[in-house]
Amino acid sequence: MKDTKLLIIDDEVEFAATLRQRLELRGIDATDVHSGGEGLQTLAEIGPDIVILDLKMPDMAGLDVLAEIKKHNPAIEVIMLTGHGSTASGIEAMEKGAFDYVMKPVDLNILLEKIYSADEKRSKE
Amino acid sequence: MDAMTENTIRQEQVGSFGQMVAGFSHDMKNHLGIIRESNGLMSDVIAMGGLSDDEASVERFKKSIDAIERRVAHVAKMLHHLSGFAHRPDTPYSSFQINDLIAEVIMLFERFSRLKQIDLALELEEGLPSVYNDPSLLQHVLYRVYILCLEQLNAGHNLGIITGQDEKIVVVTFRLSNTSQTSLNTLFDENLQAAVKKLEGTLETGEAIHDHADVKLVIPSLSAEK
Repeated sequence: MKDTKLLIIDDEVEFAATLRQRLELRGIDATDVHSGGEGLQTLAEIGPDIVILDLKMPDMAGLDVLAEIKKHNPAIEVIMLTGHGSTASGIEAMEKGAFDYVMKPVDLNILLEKIYSADEKRSKE
Repeated sequence: MDAMTENTIRQEQVGSFGQMVAGFSHDMKNHLGIIRESNGLMSDVIAMGGLSDDEASVERFKKSIDAIERRVAHVAKMLHHLSGFAHRPDTPYSSFQINDLIAEVIMLFERFSRLKQIDLALELEEGLPSVYNDPSLLQHVLYRVYILCLEQLNAGHNLGIITGQDEKIVVVTFRLSNTSQTSLNTLFDENLQAAVKKLEGTLETGEAIHDHADVKLVIPSLSAEK
């Protein structure tokens, strides 16, 4: 994970900022932004390898942001955060190119596993 | 009212409550997520560096504790209103204050306006007469009108919910910014109108004023009871 850059896109500012700090404490280079539009703008600036993306945000649907990210760079691995009660929305996101999904409220250990798996996949390709 | 209409209203009512509770559960997950992450951050700081009094650690702790306290207070308030909402159908007809009813459902509504980036403002007049009606059906009607109003609005617009009285009626006005009155004329379907009729109320569009349009839900107050 040494050179891996991670971008968190979630409109819950406190959640995104705290998650970023927790990832940084684990040596992960993370940035947090708080809207879909801001996330897309930031793509070119920081060139993330992995994106943690909220499925529901006020300005853009997470699935639309996912499509734009994949258009920008198909190699970016996206992990979706979903607050839905069922797994359907997460599976739909994976069908549309997401690497995986995590249910809210997020269990950091589960998220870390997905991040490491995404990083491993990315480094093999 | 015929049985088929009655049944359709009932189905729509269940649908409205499902949507409201789904929105509520999303919000709850977000609050719990922040509580969990804030608590996790404090645990991380202790586990990784031990308790130290350096400025950065103290600042992290203060922010985390503050976030947890705020979110717990907010969640407690939401649950209080949810509990009131959940118990409304216990008594099919009862006397209640329209403002209390709105306060309950607004907690369940506000997520939808937030997601559409619409500013929701409440103006609840104090001292309104009580209403004797079906509170659960009225909450369904309030939700349906609210959602129909939201569909008329775009990001950056405002939706006001204003209560008031006029002699023996209580009026709930939905005030939509940047909207013409004509666009509201076909807003209400037959089932919604039938539900309003069941409440012995009326649903109408008011006069267009400057750049906003009004939808008025009129309900008889307790003082109008025969």
